[in-house]
Amino acid sequence: MSVLSVSGLGKTFGGLKAVANVDLEVERGEMHGLIGANGAGKTTLLHLIYGRIRPDRGSIHFNGTDVTLLPVTARARMGMGLVFQIISVFDGLSVNENLLLGALPKDSTRSDSVDQIEVEKVIELVDLGAVRDRSAGKLGHGEKQRLEMGMVLLTRPTLLLLDEPTSGMTQAESRRTAGLLQTLRSEGAIDAAIVVEHNIEFIRLVADRVTVMHRGTVLAGGPIDEVQNDPAVQASFLGRLH
Amino acid sequence: MLVAAPLVSRDAFFVDRIGRFLLLAVFALSVDLIWGYGGMFTFGQAAFFGGAGYAVGILSTREAGILPLPLAVSIVGAVAASALLALGISYFTFARRGGLRGVEFAVVTLAVSVALERLANAGGPVTGGQNGILMTYRLGPLHQAHGFYLLAAAILVLTYFGLKRYLRSRAGLVFRGIGQNEERVELLGYDVPRIKRWTFVLSGAIAGLAGSLFYLHEGIVSPAAVGVGSSTLVLLWVVLGGKGTLIGPIAGAVALPYLTARLSGTLLDTWLVVVGVILVVVILLIPAGIFGFLNRERVS
Repeated sequence: MSVLSVSGLGKTFGGLKAVANVDLEVERGEMHGLIGANGAGKTTLLHLIYGRIRPDRGSIHFNGTDVTLLPVTARARMGMGLVFQIISVFDGLSVNENLLLGALPKDSTRSDSVDQIEVEKVIELVDLGAVRDRSAGKLGHGEKQRLEMGMVLLTRPTLLLLDEPTSGMTQAESRRTAGLLQTLRSEGAIDAAIVVEHNIEFIRLVADRVTVMHRGTVLAGGPIDEVQNDPAVQASFLGRLH
Repeated sequence: MLVAAPLVSRDAFFVDRIGRFLLLAVFALSVDLIWGYGGMFTFGQAAFFGGAGYAVGILSTREAGILPLPLAVSIVGAVAASALLALGISYFTFARRGGLRGVEFAVVTLAVSVALERLANAGGPVTGGQNGILMTYRLGPLHQAHGFYLLAAAILVLTYFGLKRYLRSRAGLVFRGIGQNEERVELLGYDVPRIKRWTFVLSGAIAGLAGSLFYLHEGIVSPAAVGVGSSTLVLLWVVLGGKGTLIGPIAGAVALPYLTARLSGTLLDTWLVVVGVILVVVILLIPAGIFGFLNRERVS
């Protein structure tokens, strides 16, 4: 069974078809890249999957359950986690408090110490131990990005959705983020991930398969080496891959 | 200093007055909880503070059916009435779909305040109309001077440490998160309307406790108690002291009424202007309020 199965998904804003009749399957253990030019509908698709936008048509199944009409909160509790393109950490809270907000159970059956143990694991993973008591508003850009990811990881997502995670990062920081995603997969911390990215080098490092979007529709899909030889893809977008 | 001065003062009038200001400080803390920490700007908090005054007056003074009730039961009833009013408002304002934020929320709380003031005016024998309700119950040895001061101080201390503990707890952390970025907290999977609702009810109950004792001590409650004027005044105390700090609203709620009382005795015609100028200068120079500014200086 696929972790995520999107079928015939569509969303129109005014007269603009932002996403039109999109099918997408993400298998267990897969890192899936979503690429395309600006305005191709990648971020809209990601937000439709996460439930921030309601689709006009089509369906979304997550681990076999139809989540098409479920609100964001329900999807988050079922195991979806979204790492935002625009960083939205809590500037007035410390790094530790930000992470605790991700870690706290949405029910209240566990003890504080369990939450803090999970925070410790993630704080090490995202390498923020040295600034744990600093308020998030005083962190550098790369640190904020890692904190953002740490918060989402602490919600224990099985499907991680990343919206341009390397935006504004240096090359070294991008490689570090790629390493982090590979570690998460190899340790079985997540079942699958969907990464929206313009940074093709990053996509090559992390993605098993990619879906190329163009004007709201799926232009091609498959391993990146196959996709890049598709003439339609080259004509519309992937000339940039070479 | 002003807060602790009654411990060594023999001036019963002064001690009594500071006791009243301490209950106003509890009222200010109830506003700071939802506005300073939760980001919910309210123009209607006097509905709970003054509303509890009316509730305690009706329950302990009116003679009908099971009324009047014993004093302690009346106070508990007044706190419950404020909490229930907050719960009722919260069902409209923090609905799962189409919940109100920012200015919309402020306008609704303003409307509640205006409506309650009109209701108090038009309530006939139940609310006493323009004259309000005269209360005959006394708080025994806790009604005057040092007794009253100690009662108010105890309630303030309990509220202060209770809120401090709450804000440091798991639920408090989530609530502080809501104050900074509500949508983000929702996206992390929390039930934001539920958390806002119950914290709003807590805030209403705190204001209700302070209000019931304040108006019992005053011996009278009138329509202005639930009106926009009272709701606005408490915002000024919180702004002056520093919203989002627990100590700031206490300082504002004690210092500003004290200053007002002192100046109104000496500067008969111009005291309001002086108070207004002080407020404008403080807000312009340090928008975070006095303790908000001091905290920031300490952190940086």
